[in-house]
This record gives sequence, structure tokens and C-alpha cells, in this order.
Amino acid sequence: MSNAQIQGQLASAISSEVMIEVNKMNKWYGSFHVLKDIDLTVHKGERIVVCGPSGSGKSTLIRCINALEEHQEGDIIVDGIKLGKNLKNLDHIRTEVGMVFQNFNLFPHLTILENLTLGPVWVRKMAKADAIETAMMYLERVKIPEQADKYPGQMSGGQQQRVAIARSLCMSPKIMLFDEPTSALDPEMIKEVLDTMVDLAETGMTMIVVTHEMGFAKTIADEVIFMDEGDIVERNKPEEFFGNPEHERTQKFLSQIL
Amino acid sequence: MAIVKATKTPARSAPISESSILGWLQKNLFSSAFNSVLTVFTTYIIYLTVNGVYIWGFADATFVAETRRECYGNSLTGACWAGVIDWLDNIFYGRYPREEIWRINFGGILLAFWMAPLWIARAKGKVLVGASVVVFYPFLAGYLFSGGDKGLFMQVMISGAIVAFAINMANAIAGLLKQQSIVRLVIGSLGQTNAADKTQRNLLIALVAVGFGAAYLWQSSWTVEFVTWTKWGGLFLTLVISGIGIASALPGGIILALGRRSKLPVLRVLSTGFIEVFRSVPLITVLFMATTMFPLFMPEGFVLNKLVQVIIAVVLFNACYMAETVRAGLQAIPKGQFEGAHTIGLGYWGTMGLIIMPQALKHMIPNIVGSFIGLLKDTTLVSIIGLFDILGMLRSISKDVPWLGLHKEPLIFGAILFFIICFAMSKYSRHLEVKLSAGNNH
Repeated sequence: MSNAQIQGQLASAISSEVMIEVNKMNKWYGSFHVLKDIDLTVHKGERIVVCGPSGSGKSTLIRCINALEEHQEGDIIVDGIKLGKNLKNLDHIRTEVGMVFQNFNLFPHLTILENLTLGPVWVRKMAKADAIETAMMYLERVKIPEQADKYPGQMSGGQQQRVAIARSLCMSPKIMLFDEPTSALDPEMIKEVLDTMVDLAETGMTMIVVTHEMGFAKTIADEVIFMDEGDIVERNKPEEFFGNPEHERTQKFLSQIL
Repeated sequence: MAIVKATKTPARSAPISESSILGWLQKNLFSSAFNSVLTVFTTYIIYLTVNGVYIWGFADATFVAETRRECYGNSLTGACWAGVIDWLDNIFYGRYPREEIWRINFGGILLAFWMAPLWIARAKGKVLVGASVVVFYPFLAGYLFSGGDKGLFMQVMISGAIVAFAINMANAIAGLLKQQSIVRLVIGSLGQTNAADKTQRNLLIALVAVGFGAAYLWQSSWTVEFVTWTKWGGLFLTLVISGIGIASALPGGIILALGRRSKLPVLRVLSTGFIEVFRSVPLITVLFMATTMFPLFMPEGFVLNKLVQVIIAVVLFNACYMAETVRAGLQAIPKGQFEGAHTIGLGYWGTMGLIIMPQALKHMIPNIVGSFIGLLKDTTLVSIIGLFDILGMLRSISKDVPWLGLHKEPLIFGAILFFIICFAMSKYSRHLEVKLSAGNNH
């Protein structure tokens, strides 16, 4: 495979503005050291794919960025706001950072439209009619506007995940985090979700994606990060990362999954 | 081997055992000689029982008589329903003055009408209807039942209740006829549909204020006679105690359950302690404590009437049980739901109120209704501490001179009454479950 092919088909729109900055961040689950001295800078418009063996701390890292998990040492600065004990900051960060989960985490008791409008109406205090309009726009974008009145339980996994993406987008976040968005899906549904994410990447959204979909990483990533046992082992452009991995652990991992 | 079957297999009709009554009978009741014998034997036992009950309860029973002796004169083997019929008013209303009984009935009918829109699919604003019942109805009903002079507070609440009831009824009719909420209809008929939100709101407030003024003037023109609580009794008293218990146990239980799961240690310990203490003590003990010990701790001259004490005890006791039911429901909600809610920026109350509670309560309906049924039945314990609730009244019949010793029939009548109420509740809970789980099979 030539470099030209590997290199993303997407023009990247990285600006010099820093969206996420992680400095010497450490996290423990009880006595287990999950994340070790993590340093990470993500610029506006940058699309980063995080990969690594299970238990390497990839999910924990992005959950820390969204303040779903507390970190014990170091700083995480998202869009200029430092994460800490300040609950008001936390709520603010969460509205700026969208997150898509492996298990969708849609609200099963609400229709798709209600799932999408809940945040804008209750958190952003948007008028209901405007919220519905925005929701329908995003449903069009993930190509399921006709499902607006269904409940999540009546949809396929792929459709649910696309709704979950639309739900996050309705809050007009500055950053989108994806925690293994295709791992719980049947193979034939993975593509529709990945296509949605590629569309999103084209809009210039800042994205961090934890995934095992290496084809996807090659297509959209500006940089690929490899994590192992709580360390960021390697960070590189995709063509370098896949064509010429530097670290021995990266080579071993890639040889196992490719 | 390549193609196994080139043409589609046509569907055939099901075998007889799946499709006809005869087939069903054969499959389920007479599938073997032993099962056939069992079926015949069981049918015979059922026949004996039903027949015995029929002869005692209907065929040989006396429905019209002046005294128990007269019943015996009529038949020795039949029930003496005449005693129950003679006491029917007492069973339902206790010693409430006969000429004032309309107030109880009126209160009941009012409640039924007030709540009816909750069951009408086309009526709008169900949450407001529910809230208005909880906020206003107790005051209106409280005054209807006890009467006497109205204080200023009561006058205000009664006027509020009248206005709320009127709006509620108008809203239900608007929903039924025009499929609109009353607010839209009024705004529309005044030609203000396109006016600014603020103008509309001010207009509505003005209309409600006028209504309130009219209601206030009207209600100050009448009073109803005072009836002391000691005259309350029978099914009426049972329903008052259990109704207040049911209406407040759920909110109380939700608050206690949230407290017990709170991250704040003081709140958690207090809630847990409160729940565990009340749950480890039998209701009858709580009732005795409330009526005998509680006044000892109160300042001199502070007298709460026994009924209020009993109601407080019932409410606290059941709130603690409900708290555990609610907690179980909360624990069944996957962590992902909390995380999903957090990622769209909902805070604690938003997450609980919009995401977690609606799902948890739905799962808990069978348990909640189970608790309500238990509460209703437990309420009969108040007869032990000297309130003449329905059980107290039923047992008094045997001490009434004409019906001396008539125990069986009143208690059976009470059992039937309780069965009807509890079975209706249980059926309704089943209906709710089905209705709420529609389109939500996850």
C-alpha cells in the first residue's frame, strides 16, 4: 500500500488553538495504576485515534477528559477550563464535550426525538420548536429522520449508535469523544456508523476515537496514539504508524490485529 | 449435494390440540387416565365448595330481618346478611352524622372527577392535573369532611381548589372536544394566538386571578357543620388514612431512597438509620408509640389528635418500606444511563427526574402497588388502638343488641370489600405496566 493511499482522503483543518491539554495525569482504580504520567495535546480540528490492547487505559483516558472519571494527579484542561472538584465546571465541560459509548446509552423510555431534544431543552434552555428543528437536522445528517418517533428498543444497533451520535451533536459540542463506538455492533452495521463518523470528521470536528477499526483510523486520523499498560507508547501520523511503527510493543500489537 | 429443496413448502393448519377447545381439553385435562381421574376429582371438590357457599350465602340466607333471632327463625343453615345490610351506613361512614353523609360522597365524587383526566388519553397537561390533586384536593376534602369555621389559610386553599378543579374540568372537556389544552383554546378564542409569550402569560394570570376572586367570594358565603374526627369511621376512615398514606409514601420513599444513595455521608447515614429503624419495628408498635409515647415528648398543652398521630405513623412507616422498593428500582438502572445523562450536561436533579426515576418507577410498579395494597390492609390495625375504621365497625356489629354474636357475616362482607378494592388496584397496576412498556422492549 502506497503512502498516498494510506494518507487520509480528508483534508485536515487543524488550527493552532489547543482544545485539550493533559499534563502528567495519573489515575488509579483503588491501588491499580491505570494511567501513568499521561501527556497529551489535542488541537482544534484534530482527529485522533487511540488504539491498544484491552486494559491499556484508552477508555479511561477519554472518560477522564469528559470528567466521567476522576483523575488523582496532574491537570486536564479542556477548552481552557481546568477539570477539578468544581461541579459547575464539570457540567460546563460535559456540555462542550460530546461522548458516544460502546453501548449507546440512549434513554429507552423516550422516543428518538425526545432523546435528542432533552439536552438542548433542559440544559441549553432552547425553545422546544427550535430544539426539534435542530434534532431533525441532525437526524437527517445521520440518515434516519424517519425513525424520529420510534423508541431506541425498536431500532438496530447501528441505528441506535447513529442516534447517539446525533444526540451528542444536538448539544453542539466542540469536541467529540468516541469510546469503541462499533465494538458492540454486528459486522454489517459497523460500516453505517463509521460512515457517519467520517461525515462528521469532514466537518472539522475535534475528535478522539478509541477504536479497533484500523481502516477507519487510516481514513480519518490526523494522528494515531498507541497505548499499553497505562502509557502512551507511540503517537504518529497514520502512514508512519501503520507503515513503520517505531516501538516494539506497537509492532507486536499491529501484527496481532492486522 | 447442492439444492435441498427447490420449491417453497406450503404452510399447513395446526393440529387439533392447538386450535380447538376439545383439543385443549384433551391436551391439558385428560391427557392420561391418571390426569382424567384427577380432573374429575378436582371438579367434584370445587363443586362441593361452590355449592356449600351458594347454599349458605344465597339459597338459605336471610336478607331482610330486624334481629338475629328473626334470621334464625327463617333458616338455621343460611347466612344472616340482614345484620350487615342494617349496618351498611356504619360500615361505610362510621358514626358520621347521617344527614351530613353527602359530604363524604361528594368528596369522593369530586376526587373521581378530578383524577378522571389522568385516564383520558386526549386530555392535555396530565402532570399539572396530578400536581393540582396533591396540592389542593386535601384541603378541600379536609374541610368538606371536618367542616366548621374556615381560617384564612383554609379559605385561600379552598378557593384555590375550586379554581384548580374548574380549570381541570374545562381542560378535560377542551381536550375531549377540540383536542387542545384549555390554555390554547382560551388564548385562541381571544385572538391572542400570535401575541408575545409574556402577553399571553399575563392574560392567563389575570383570568385565573378573576376566577380566584370569584371563588373566594362564593366560598365565604357558605360553611358546613363541624364534625369531630371521633365520628369518622368505617370504610371512609380506612380510605382517608390509607389514601393519605399512599399519596405521601411514594414521594417520601423517593426522598429517603435518594438520601440513602447520596454521596453526602450525613444525609446517607440519617436516611439509612431512619429507614432501618422504622423497618425493624412492627406497624402496631409504631402506632402505639405514635399515640402514647409521642405526646409525652411534646411540650405541655400541645395536643395533636389521635387521627393525625396515626396518619403520621402510617406515612413514616410506609415511606420507609417504599424507600427500599425505590432503591431496588434505582439499582436496576444501568450505570450507562447516568453517564448518558451526564454527557448531555444534565445535573443531579435533571438526571434523576428525567432519566433515572421514570425508568426506575416503571420497573417498580408491581412492587409499589403491592406496597399500596399492603398499606390498605395494614390500616385495619388502627382498630386496635381504638379508631373505628372498617374493621372496628364490622366487629361492632356483634355487640349491637339486635345482632348480638353476629361475627361471621360482617367479616366475610369485609373480606369481599377488601378483595374488590385490592383486586382492582392490582388489575390497574397490570394495565399500567402494559401501557407504559408499550414500544419499550429493551
